[in-house]
Amino acid sequence: MLARLLSRRAVLAGLGLAAALLLTVPTLAGPDALVLRHDGGATRLSVAALRDQADVRFSFFDPFAGEELAVRGLVFRDFLVEHFGEVPEALAFDAWDDYRVTLDGWDDPGWILVTHQNGAPLSLRDRGPLRLVERDYGDRDPANLRNFNDWVWMIRSIKAVP
Amino acid sequence: MTARPSWRRHAGWLWLSLMSFTTLLILITYETRWVYPEIHAYFSQTGNLTGQQLATRSRQYLQEGLGSLLEAPDSDAARQEAGFRLELAYSLFDIGLYRREYACTEPSLAELDALADRLEIGGGLTPATLNDHLLGPIRCLTEIEMDQLERRSAVTTAFVEETRRHQGVVLGGSLVIFLMGLVFWWMHERQRRQAERATRESLRWMARALRDPLTGVGNRSALHQDVMAQPGKPMSLMLIDIDYFKQYNDTLGHPDGDQLLRELALLIDTSLAGQARLYRMGGDEFAALLLRDDGGGLAERCATLTARVREAAMAHPGHPYRRTVTLSIGAACFVAGEAGFASGYAAADRALYRVKEQGRDGWLASEGADTVEENGKV
Repeated sequence: MLARLLSRRAVLAGLGLAAALLLTVPTLAGPDALVLRHDGGATRLSVAALRDQADVRFSFFDPFAGEELAVRGLVFRDFLVEHFGEVPEALAFDAWDDYRVTLDGWDDPGWILVTHQNGAPLSLRDRGPLRLVERDYGDRDPANLRNFNDWVWMIRSIKAVP
Repeated sequence: MTARPSWRRHAGWLWLSLMSFTTLLILITYETRWVYPEIHAYFSQTGNLTGQQLATRSRQYLQEGLGSLLEAPDSDAARQEAGFRLELAYSLFDIGLYRREYACTEPSLAELDALADRLEIGGGLTPATLNDHLLGPIRCLTEIEMDQLERRSAVTTAFVEETRRHQGVVLGGSLVIFLMGLVFWWMHERQRRQAERATRESLRWMARALRDPLTGVGNRSALHQDVMAQPGKPMSLMLIDIDYFKQYNDTLGHPDGDQLLRELALLIDTSLAGQARLYRMGGDEFAALLLRDDGGGLAERCATLTARVREAAMAHPGHPYRRTVTLSIGAACFVAGEAGFASGYAAADRALYRVKEQGRDGWLASEGADTVEENGKV
């Protein structure tokens, strides 16, 4: 009787552990998808597909990396129009490092959704898989990282804020 | 050399004053709308990418990863989660600034790399091994955090000092601009009042220049000006002459002569029912200007005036035919304008001359084609 009880408990514990693992799977599975939220709905985009679509290439000095980088990506404004039908007033970003921010002013072709760096796809380690940067940051001092507070790293989901 | 028009001087002071106040407004708007929000955005500790130090966030992820591994060193899920935390920690640690300015960064990143490899391969990870791999990076990150905090504190202190100086300059500048605006406004107001006084004075002098000082009625210039002010208007002009005025003066003296002029001016005005403008043309001659659309006939007015003077029976001891004052009146109609007035004046003068020729004390009015005459000579 005791053995059956223990066995049932073991099964329940196993199920609980499995459920816990399942719940953590999206996080642990790695950043292979981008979620877009709009009008109460959500769309998953494959990061691999976005990497394939990336057609903008340029080199610039990345203030955070502190070096010249050759990057590849998509014009973010065009990306927004393609997936949201327009450039939303503001966007709420959710990053893999739990950073959350809401920013506006995206109707600007200077913002690039970066997918590759120095020829390789961005990984979490490179502050990827998707990173938003300004192609031309004018005369702002790259030595002062606070000048680039609008950049968003490790983008996990983007929500249109009306 | 021509004097600068007064309105331009006023506009200059006014312009300077408005410029001062506008500059002040722009300065205040700039300070409140742009400068302070920028400062807030720069120093805000939350809600932006670098609000919390990257080193702090990296250290937290390392500690979380370490916690997961220490709690369940043999669990695949724990190792997977720890690996994920290590990646996040690495990304926030691998910053150009840290690599450049903190010597411990490169070796620490190498340790994290090595730990990531061991997690990938699998196998047991003892607390000692974890310590070997993670203690150095955590210590390095703590060092970076402390140094960055010190730097931030120094920057903040310098900024506060700079802001205080800036505020002092802005406050002083605002005060100076405000005072300049007030001074310019005062200058403008002073000049405006001076100009107003000068204008009033000029108008007073102009009015005096158009008045006969003895009788208070208008003079010849006023008559000309009043006619020219209404071009095209049909008008009538009466030229009124006091008969034998020289003899009046010779008999009663000039003070009485002046008194007679004043009384006659009043009488003429009354008899014309205030509908004519009266002028003294010089000596013993008056002129009365009437608008022709007032309904009254010119001859009728001449007759009325003559009758009123006769009724008044003002004593004239020097009159060769009567013992009272009599008038000779010549009147004519004309259309206001330079040429019309000249011809009207000439016609009235001719009429007056004819009355005088016929023995005075009478009137002759020329109204268009009709000429009406009354000669009261007895």
